[in-house]
Amino acid sequence: MDRTERILDLVALLLDAREPISWAELREHFPADYGGSDDAAERKFERDKAELVELGFPLTYVQGDDERRDGYIVDRDAYYLPEADLTKEELAVLYAAGSAALASGVFPGRDDLAHALRKIGFFAGQSLPTPRVRMELGAVQEGQVKEVSARLEQLWDACAARKWVEISYASPKHPNATQRRVDPYGLALRRGVWTLVGHCHLRGGLRTFHVHRVRELKVNTARPRTPDFHVPEDFSLDSHVAYFPWQHRFHEPVEVVLRLSGTLASRASGLFPGATLEPMGEGLTLAKLRVSFLDGLARFCLSLGADCVVEGPESARSRLREMAARVANRHADALEGKVTA
Amino acid sequence: MSNVHERLRRLLFLVPYVSKNPGVTVEALARALNVSREDLLEELDLLTCVGRPPFNPDDYIDIYVDNDRVYVDLDQRLFAPPRLTAGEAAALAASAELLRPAAGDALQSALQKLERVLPPHVRERYREMYRKIDASAEAPQALGPLTRAILERREVTFGYASPGRPAEPRQVRPYELLSHRGQWYLQGFCHTRQDSRLFRLDRMEDIVITDTPFVLPPDARADVPNPARSRSEDSVRVRFSPVAAPYVKERFGQDARPLADGGVEVLVAGDSERWLTQWVLSFGGEAEVVEPVSARAAVARAARASIGL
Repeated sequence: MDRTERILDLVALLLDAREPISWAELREHFPADYGGSDDAAERKFERDKAELVELGFPLTYVQGDDERRDGYIVDRDAYYLPEADLTKEELAVLYAAGSAALASGVFPGRDDLAHALRKIGFFAGQSLPTPRVRMELGAVQEGQVKEVSARLEQLWDACAARKWVEISYASPKHPNATQRRVDPYGLALRRGVWTLVGHCHLRGGLRTFHVHRVRELKVNTARPRTPDFHVPEDFSLDSHVAYFPWQHRFHEPVEVVLRLSGTLASRASGLFPGATLEPMGEGLTLAKLRVSFLDGLARFCLSLGADCVVEGPESARSRLREMAARVANRHADALEGKVTA
Repeated sequence: MSNVHERLRRLLFLVPYVSKNPGVTVEALARALNVSREDLLEELDLLTCVGRPPFNPDDYIDIYVDNDRVYVDLDQRLFAPPRLTAGEAAALAASAELLRPAAGDALQSALQKLERVLPPHVRERYREMYRKIDASAEAPQALGPLTRAILERREVTFGYASPGRPAEPRQVRPYELLSHRGQWYLQGFCHTRQDSRLFRLDRMEDIVITDTPFVLPPDARADVPNPARSRSEDSVRVRFSPVAAPYVKERFGQDARPLADGGVEVLVAGDSERWLTQWVLSFGGEAEVVEPVSARAAVARAARASIGL
């Protein structure tokens, strides 16, 4: 019998049973499948049982007594999906976000997500909202979507089962890809880029890796149901992955003050989330923020134009001036005249 | 994840789905399960062989296609799908985080309800897995009202600050929200410009949902903004130093032409001088516009303005 068919038969049998079903009975019911030697039959059933548990099937073994015999039984109440009673708004947000993430092509746990959406939509019937939110995530180039998607799926499984992965990582900073063993702690999405955070055995510490820079990936297949590592209790993805270029943890953080004018003044909170803002009137806003990568901030400020001025400290002011002077001088012939920083 | 596992999950949903929606068309069912028509018909064939011992005629699932519609007469207790697994709930919750700032209380309460429908022994595992994906909080507040306006098919007004110009009032039929590389856009029909337009959410101010209804055109779909998309006579040649080259190659792939000094050169659309200038400046001196001269001058002027010249 086909394995899918056998497992579905088991589901139907166990969902219908009022009494525990013993292993001997199961062997009688499925003579062709659980025939052969005791060892082989038991191994086969163990694999089927593991599959049932993976499916969320609440299978338990009860030890018999005078009133009841030994065997397997299922808690039916725990099996069936109850109605979650989601309001229209709640369903809309789950559905819009889930569909958009799925359609983006790159979201970890895509299969899981697709099933979850089907299940939460089960009771909604025709009233399911049409998602009008789209997301293009993660992949750096269009051709990479498939590869990044496959890597995310492998990493999702490895994170869930806590199995180490072996990766070949191509950082733009280094000419050659490096081979590393990593304990994957989690995945974070920042500005369209997926980052893997984990313990890197090569560097002996926590490291972050952009998933689109992973060239090859193998998940440890040994002892699949035994975790290879523990994630520290106090670990949080948020404290290891930067949202903005100035948050990369390259230096000791310093407080930088920016003066925003023109259209930037009213957009300050969107441009620098988390910054302390002081409106100064007349279309001026001061923004104070903690910066651990000054060059990242300088480049961002430069792209905002003359309405974004660094007030201090002097190290940040001079860095931005140096960069601006360099750009101006590289293009000086178009206007003529060199500038000094 | 094995194929058997995926197939089982699909089939354990299929039977209850047909049971709840008797007479669903083959087409609609295939769409709901994201499989081809042929694969669906194969699955239905398999299901007719599924049942429970002792396998009397009444012990089999009785599912059939009649006049291209699917019915189930005996579901063998598969009348509702299984509860969410820890992985399914965690993936759904993580994806919902993408809209957190926009969704307000609805998201929080949805996640609480989601947790309540998990079997107790799965909850802890769910919480552990949920911590492992962090896709949170880049969505701007404006997503909330705009999502509502799209769903309710009502026009919106807002002030739109085009770069370098003061905010200008716009009246727009909102069609679709699009996130691209972490930047959010609204696609819609702009009455002010009498044309389809893409608006960056971070440049909108004072969004108001009006009572003016509109009809959503069937083909409303935003184009992904892509600077490398349109090469024309207006294209701008930009050269990058060896320091920036690896990052540019990563984004542009084959379109980044290698140079003798280890740098690279790319051609990008020249239809937005402002965008181009900002982009070149964001490389902090590692990028140079080669031609045309007008674009070189624009970059030089912007850089000088940044240091008050």
